[in-house]
Amino acid sequence: MLSRRDFLKLVVKGAVLGNFYQLISPPLAEAVAAGEVKKLPVVMIETGTCTGDSISLDNIWTPTFSDILTNITDWRYDWTMMQAQGDAAYQVLQETYEKMPNEYILIVQGSMIQRDGGHYNHVAYENGKLVTGLELVRRLGLKAKYVVAIGHCATYGGPVAGYPNPTQSTGVQNILPERRVINVSGCPAHPDWIMGTLLHLALYGEPELEKYGRPKLFYGETIHNRCPRRRYYDQGIFATEIGQKECLFRVGCKGPVTYADCPIRRWNDHINWPIGCNTPCIGCTEPGYPDLMSPFTVHLPDIPFPGGTKVNTDAIGLGVLGLTSIAITGHVATSLYKGRIQKNLLRTSVKAQHRPAVKKVKTFHQYRLKKT
Amino acid sequence: MKHHVKLRKPLVKQLKKGNVKGTIVQSQPIWVRIFHWGFATSLIVVILTGLQLHKPASFLALNFSKVLTAHLVFGWFSMGFLAIRIADALIRRDDSLIPKIQDLKHFPQLMAYYFFLRSSPPPARKYNSGQLLIYFSWFLLFLLASFLGLTSYWQGEHLIWVWRLIGGFQVLRWTKFIITIYFLATIPVHIYLSLTEDISRLQAMVTGYERKPSPNNR
Repeated sequence: MLSRRDFLKLVVKGAVLGNFYQLISPPLAEAVAAGEVKKLPVVMIETGTCTGDSISLDNIWTPTFSDILTNITDWRYDWTMMQAQGDAAYQVLQETYEKMPNEYILIVQGSMIQRDGGHYNHVAYENGKLVTGLELVRRLGLKAKYVVAIGHCATYGGPVAGYPNPTQSTGVQNILPERRVINVSGCPAHPDWIMGTLLHLALYGEPELEKYGRPKLFYGETIHNRCPRRRYYDQGIFATEIGQKECLFRVGCKGPVTYADCPIRRWNDHINWPIGCNTPCIGCTEPGYPDLMSPFTVHLPDIPFPGGTKVNTDAIGLGVLGLTSIAITGHVATSLYKGRIQKNLLRTSVKAQHRPAVKKVKTFHQYRLKKT
Repeated sequence: MKHHVKLRKPLVKQLKKGNVKGTIVQSQPIWVRIFHWGFATSLIVVILTGLQLHKPASFLALNFSKVLTAHLVFGWFSMGFLAIRIADALIRRDDSLIPKIQDLKHFPQLMAYYFFLRSSPPPARKYNSGQLLIYFSWFLLFLLASFLGLTSYWQGEHLIWVWRLIGGFQVLRWTKFIITIYFLATIPVHIYLSLTEDISRLQAMVTGYERKPSPNNR
């Protein structure tokens, strides 16, 4: 079986060459066939989501996603992928929950909708009652071996939790505080990040996580640090419009504040990525996306004011400086008119008018020798 | 016939002193002056490079790695100067920069003076209540900005709790920007008032000595 070190090497090698699964699946399938590794029982629950992460996961090319489902994992319940429906499908989920406690991996896709007890998001029909996503994720999550949140919605709330967040949506970790949730963020998450994390869980257990609960092997470095256009940044050569080939920092690239390995892994089977096609990174893997990252073409987020108005931070800064300038100019003018500046300057700088008199108190006589 | 009178040095000194209105007292010790000008220079470099890093000016083709280096180096310098000032204040037991409730009670009167509703400022210790508020807020905000700067410098390797507490890199960046705007809004006020209110105070920040007007000449 692959050692962990070899696995981590393949993660990077696969990113650079764009054939992560091609490299990883043969030894893994062999290990599964030899009984060294158990097939991963996986259930996926979709809550407040657009199913984008499933579509992203389906973009695995060589070998295909179906190969992975058949040979490496035991993909038991997933609305998008399963063929069964209704009670027959739900029965599988119930069986997994009851017969495989602390064995299965729960994958959650979509944000946790909390408003009105989660009743804006029903995910199952059980004994004549509608089950909310909130309830099902909590129930399954407490018995799962690992809980993996995929996509930005499941990890930190995502666009569903965007301002003003009428559904009170949030990430999985917030509704499962008893468990450590492994966050695979992104909008959507890259297929390598999802599958790589699952394979690491199957082979070596929980990967090393960074500050926001994301696997360090994929989210350990900022996009900016690995960006192929970093040399433009260092030399101060910036694109002034989206579509230009220089560093996109001035047009709002969030690469400096975003942790992900997109520059080396790229998207769509290693073909391209946002900066590769001259658009700035929008920071979709970071907590606070999209509110903190939008507008996507400026650096800092807009500041929301009561009533739903948002004002650009740079505009607020310029406004404050403008007000200060006006205030100082106004004060100078009024002070000159009222004579305060003149008075203050006279008071603090002019010397005394009466010079003191000097009295001769002692006379020094100087004597020299006469020339003879 | 005009006689040239040669005067001794102590007498000349005494005459010069007598020639000055009010009395001359030492107001700013050497370490305070070193701090003031060193910190001011460093902070200006930090703010200007920070603004350039925030939004590169299109008319400046600066080498960004050097801008970042200058930002970091002068950030450390300014922290060093602040450390000197804190050490000096501790050694001299100088609490002139710490606002007290008694000082703040005069704040409305001071504002009345600035808005031309009074002819003279209210009595104050070394610094008036407005100065105390601004200087003390600078002290706190500079410490906060430096702390956040270190957090972003370490990129989540250290001070992870700060990242979690504040809510991420983008919020950290936003907070630093707002602090910068506060500095940029208050520094011109400081310069303007120091030039127009009491020029001898400004002189004291160079020579160390300040002219105190005689009480009947205020």
